[in-house]
Amino acid sequence: MNPAHDYINNLTRRQFFAGAGLAMGGVALNWLAPRLQAAGGTGVGADALNARIHPPLAGFPHFAPTAKRIIYLHMNGGPSQLDTFDYKPQLQERFDQDLPDSIRQGQRITTMTSGQARFPVAPSLFNFAQHGQSGTWVSDLLPWTSKIVDDIAVVRSVHTNAINHDPACTFLMTGSEIPGKASLGSWLSYGLGSENNDLPAFVVLTPKFSPKVAAQALFTRMWSSGFLPTSHSGVALRAQTDPVLFLENPNGVDPTTRRAMLDSLSKFNHLTHARHNDPETLTRIAQYEMAFRMQTSVPELTDFSGESEATLDLYGPEVKESGSFTASCLLARRLVERNVRVVQILHRGWDQHGNLPNDHRIQCLDTDRGCYALIADLKQRGLLDDTLVVWAGEFGRTVYSQGALTKTNYGRDHHPRCFSVWMAGGGVKGGLVYGETDDFSYNIIRDPVSLHDLNATLLHCLGIDHQKFSFKSQGLDQRLTGVEPARVVKEILT
Amino acid sequence: MLLHRLLVLAVIIAAPVAAQESISFNTHVRPILSDNCFACHGTDAGHREGKLRLDIADTPEGAYASRDGVRAIVPRDLEKSELWQRIISPHDDEMMPPAESHKPRLKPGEIDVIKRWIEQGAVYQRHWAFEPIAQPAPPKAKSRSGTHPVDRFVSDTLATRKLQLAAEAPREVLLRRLTLDLTGLPPTPDEIDAFLADKKSGAYERVVERLLASPRYGEHFARGWLDAVRYADTHGLHLDNIRTIWPYRDWVVQAFNRNLPFDQFTIEQLAGDLLPNPRIDQLVATGYNRNILSTSEGGAIEAEAEMRNTADRVDTTAAVWLGLTANCAACHDHKFDPITQREYYELGAIFKGLEDRVWDGNIRNPAPIAIVAGDPEKQQRIDELSAMIAPLEHTLTTKADSLIAGGKGLMKLTKKPITYEVVWAEDSDLITPETFNARPAGKWHRGPTVPVAGGEAALRLEGSQARPFFFTAGDVVLTARTEVRSFVHLYSDPVDPPRAVSLEFISDQKTRRFVWGDLAAFGPDIAAAAIHAGPLPAPGGYTRLELIACDAGVDEGKNYTGLRIAQSNGAAWWDRAGAVITSPSASDDPILSKDAWARTYRTTARDDSELPVRHDLRYVLGLSGTQQNDKEKKRLANYHRDHIYAPFRAELEKELHAVRPLLSEQIHYELTLPTTLISRELAEPLPAHIMVRGQYDEPGERVGPGTPAFLPPLRSAGAKATRLDLARWIVAPENPLTARVTVNRFWQQLFGAGLVRTPSDFGSQGDPPTHPALLDWLAAEFVRTGWDVKQFVRLLVTSRAYRQDAYASPELLELDPSNQLLARGPRFRLDAEVLRDQALALGGLLQPEIGGPPVRPYQPAGIWEPVAFGGSNTKTYVQDQGDALYRRSLYTFWKRTAPAPAMVTFDAPSRENFCVGRGRSNTPLQALALMNDVQQFEAARAFAERLLLRTSSDSDRLAYAFRSVTARVPTKAEQVLLHDTLATHRSHYLKNTEAAQQVLANGESKANSTLPVPEFAAWTMVTNLLLNLDETLNRN
Repeated sequence: MNPAHDYINNLTRRQFFAGAGLAMGGVALNWLAPRLQAAGGTGVGADALNARIHPPLAGFPHFAPTAKRIIYLHMNGGPSQLDTFDYKPQLQERFDQDLPDSIRQGQRITTMTSGQARFPVAPSLFNFAQHGQSGTWVSDLLPWTSKIVDDIAVVRSVHTNAINHDPACTFLMTGSEIPGKASLGSWLSYGLGSENNDLPAFVVLTPKFSPKVAAQALFTRMWSSGFLPTSHSGVALRAQTDPVLFLENPNGVDPTTRRAMLDSLSKFNHLTHARHNDPETLTRIAQYEMAFRMQTSVPELTDFSGESEATLDLYGPEVKESGSFTASCLLARRLVERNVRVVQILHRGWDQHGNLPNDHRIQCLDTDRGCYALIADLKQRGLLDDTLVVWAGEFGRTVYSQGALTKTNYGRDHHPRCFSVWMAGGGVKGGLVYGETDDFSYNIIRDPVSLHDLNATLLHCLGIDHQKFSFKSQGLDQRLTGVEPARVVKEILT
Repeated sequence: MLLHRLLVLAVIIAAPVAAQESISFNTHVRPILSDNCFACHGTDAGHREGKLRLDIADTPEGAYASRDGVRAIVPRDLEKSELWQRIISPHDDEMMPPAESHKPRLKPGEIDVIKRWIEQGAVYQRHWAFEPIAQPAPPKAKSRSGTHPVDRFVSDTLATRKLQLAAEAPREVLLRRLTLDLTGLPPTPDEIDAFLADKKSGAYERVVERLLASPRYGEHFARGWLDAVRYADTHGLHLDNIRTIWPYRDWVVQAFNRNLPFDQFTIEQLAGDLLPNPRIDQLVATGYNRNILSTSEGGAIEAEAEMRNTADRVDTTAAVWLGLTANCAACHDHKFDPITQREYYELGAIFKGLEDRVWDGNIRNPAPIAIVAGDPEKQQRIDELSAMIAPLEHTLTTKADSLIAGGKGLMKLTKKPITYEVVWAEDSDLITPETFNARPAGKWHRGPTVPVAGGEAALRLEGSQARPFFFTAGDVVLTARTEVRSFVHLYSDPVDPPRAVSLEFISDQKTRRFVWGDLAAFGPDIAAAAIHAGPLPAPGGYTRLELIACDAGVDEGKNYTGLRIAQSNGAAWWDRAGAVITSPSASDDPILSKDAWARTYRTTARDDSELPVRHDLRYVLGLSGTQQNDKEKKRLANYHRDHIYAPFRAELEKELHAVRPLLSEQIHYELTLPTTLISRELAEPLPAHIMVRGQYDEPGERVGPGTPAFLPPLRSAGAKATRLDLARWIVAPENPLTARVTVNRFWQQLFGAGLVRTPSDFGSQGDPPTHPALLDWLAAEFVRTGWDVKQFVRLLVTSRAYRQDAYASPELLELDPSNQLLARGPRFRLDAEVLRDQALALGGLLQPEIGGPPVRPYQPAGIWEPVAFGGSNTKTYVQDQGDALYRRSLYTFWKRTAPAPAMVTFDAPSRENFCVGRGRSNTPLQALALMNDVQQFEAARAFAERLLLRTSSDSDRLAYAFRSVTARVPTKAEQVLLHDTLATHRSHYLKNTEAAQQVLANGESKANSTLPVPEFAAWTMVTNLLLNLDETLNRN
């Protein structure tokens, strides 16, 4: 018998939800006031079975969402749009020619290449072909992604403000280059709450990646709650023994012993509550119980033994390698299946200032099949209809070569002025290509999409009007999409 | 009846304006106008709709002014007040706030406030926080409140709601509250007993004195300040490499412990370097300005990084001391508070004189730094060294310049092979940081009777040397190759020749000595390993001894730095040491090419490794070529030319050897003593501009140093205002903000929430104070008592308001859930550090040592590694061992991009931004950490061990344990529960002894092996429970 299941079965509805409800009532800070209303005043819901420990804010979602959850595949370091989705056949004739000033227009470039005497055009070494019914152009770096082009919308006209990794990653994930703002996942956890009482609302995966000379760093601020309450920070699920930090009992403490300790703890804490009448004490009792449930639900989540052969075959052999990108994709599917609101997978190593053809190939080998399998798997389970999937780096790469350009090799510097992002599911039109760049993939010539536009669009899919989604901090109504106008890119939505 | 009245009051608090109450602009109206109107009708002149401002009444653009006969507000006349018409208008095109603002319509309660305010005369007030601080007289004492001024204010407010202060908390509870609040540690049972036994009056006050005198007080209070100023042990951006600035952290601890007055505390941090003859501790204090996030990311753009660094300083200083959201004025005038964009950049101009460069170089000690000797004599020597070295370096460079001017240009280097000779020692020897403490007895002589192999002097060694003598190449690293021959000249005394001499390469590798003469002379061990190079050369004349490093065991391609000489008996002259080098490529030879030399050091400069160059040069080496400015390029080139470049060595020897020993000594101190980042002022500050729309690449009008005009004027001692002027301005008694903001933060620390609940925003958008008169009285009192922090803390904790019982009756909870009225004592969860320290203290594991380099206690695997940059020196977390595991959490290494989970799980900030108040979340992840984190569980086990070694009775142990964590005696019910819990675990572990063994093996410290295993394990579960009690996790 599993003592955790026993315990949950033995809990009367009244006990459990009275606890949860009072817990909500107890955290009587200003920011929770709207939440209280949503939880039904005192929090004791009419239908206890539907009660949620973390309900949405009052009035959320603002309108019917097309996506209930989101999986964000972040390709950290900046994949090259020129070698993946932004097909520029004319460039072949311009090999090693100088980038025309009319294209560069004196735009800033990083100090890594600003000292270069020349900016020689480096056409992609990869072959492009049209795929699917939509005929979307994809390079042969991404044979698996090519199979799902009819399910995804490729946006080739995304642009960002930042030109270096640290601020660009921070901008991508928090809508600001300066550290301290809340991340996208935290915003969603805050606004929409969680539909799973046993798992966090916002989960982060940092899979392994094939080694490079120096892979760019990630920062916990990419999933931290910033000015929002810290309970909305992303929880990193690790590929180690403890998928959630401190999940495992210490050696020698089995679940029965832990349960016995928790039973005592609950009794003591109820006495404490009687002594001080502090609602936080009831919340704490509920949180210890959720911790105990997580000790069961998380290992069950990360255990792939129940997956069918067919499913494992879909993902391919790497799915069996714990902590691989592919395994993370399957884990992401299992998470959204359990109604976890936000899953963020951050794959590193895409920063190819040199040796791009070889190293981008390795990066794509790491990720291509997982992306394909994730979409296909979500689709076959009907989950893609209300799960939004996004694939994005923090910026693109330059058309000119950084360092020596040869017939077989080149590098590319950071390029914030245009890059390609794809989205799928949850209200996004499949088989679509949106936006256009010039012949050099240097400037956007049609339908620009700023990162704020992109975030406004993501929020829209999740039923949120980005302009009405704010949190007061430092005297300002902080928004994920900042103060400048941002636009929902309705053209890519169903 | 009571309940009924309280429910009515609840409504009053929720909609704070009772029908009969008169409307106050600051309390009631300003928050509404600020939040809904000021963005377009406020202080921002650049974005003011209809030339109307509503934050002010009487100016031409003010609310009372007439525009074409229309007035926004006509006192006592709703009909004629356009503002009123607009907020109630049903028409979308008239309605305010307008639809495009995305602001919802005003709520009925808000509209009602505006209505009554206009009806009552629409009286404007200046924003409360910007008004001068007067010290209001405390209200008359109420019977139950006593005479304490704080209580008289609090009771006065309570009385308006027919409430009064609660009874005092039980003494044990109070003692635990006080001890945790003042020291961050729980009281021991002995301390509890002593307090309970002290029946004389003043017992509580005596405990306050004891705790204020404890060094733990400073550690605990420093923590909050370190959050505010975002102290951390890494740079924070990109590589997020180690930054050595912990002496600043220790300075903060000491400042609290020695009760440095807050005004001085402020001045020393912002501008200690500008004080006359600053002491070392005053320089260390200026580390404040260096706590910014910094980067050396390869592609980063200098102007952008420079702007961000300055903004970080301005924003932090404004928030921490002034409670101003200055950063709102970076792109345009502040929309809510009277700070113009120009004034924002004027504040920035004050920090533009800081000498530190925009990049951190990814090194741990980017200049300017101070070496902290710890003893005055050595500190003085360090100062002297700097003073002596500068002119000698100048002389050396001048000499080298003159060589160039005289036509001896630098070689043109090609990829072709080259052979050349380099002389390390002609008339003197070089001392390296490693050999600095090991000077042998040998002496250089010059004169007609001295035989020389070159130059004018030779070294005389007499008798066996206790220590070997070194001929080093200074900081030139030599690469061993088969074609490189080192040499030295030996002249054995004809009367008393040595029995033998030996030469050895100085290298990290294991090498063999070369011995000339009697192989047995240096003992059997050396004889067995050495190479016999030949007989002792004939005395009475110079012989050139030559040897090849590879022959001695230095692997081809590895490095060495010179020769070590040993002499057995006799006397000899030694002279002219060096090497004949054949390089496969001249332009890749570090001794000839500065670029090649810089390349060899670039990576090591960023590592934490010991590099025998001074920090300022190490910094330049850590920068990429594009990051180096002209001055730095020149410094690097000159250094190579003057100190390394082989063709100049012979001619520069005198000047080089004059400075080198001092430089070596200086570098030695840098490598062996603590260093810390400090502030220094440039002779000429960088230019400051208004940055148009806050864009780094759009500098507008140039501005000088200044402060916002709505505050008292900035007085400068000299022609231009400096950081010192700014610091003095901040703590000038007439500054209305600093004292208010500071006392509010101390109040928040002790009461769980501030009187102003937005501690970093005292502006229009911040919360108004719950007790305005009390806040002002406290601020004035703080200034009046000389900014005496301990006195102020004493004042707060001796109040009845602080000492109240924390019980919240259901009625009170409903009326005042967040305890704004203070009708009960504050109760809140302990901070991350306190939770960990408390567990360590209860386990008897806590190490009392104060200060020093940060430590790396337990941390789960995979916290740093999955996020860190490949080349970062904080990529891999290597846990410390032994005592370092049990230091106070204040000393835990703080990596900004991935702080310790034991911290962030409990709401510690990342220290990437200023943080003047932490949240207090309550999550399942915290439960998991407290139950399962090895630090917590090991502490539980050690706690159990203490109990088992104490007495043999279950009851006594349980009572003692319970008292240790809660400070109080368990009730009957709790005793029963404790016994039941113990019995459950006891029976379990008696049946499962293997599991019991495993329980005891958790953690690195060894469990006492004499105790019965199942019993020990059962008690560990009991203590694990006790460390998780809600009462333990809170200060009650």
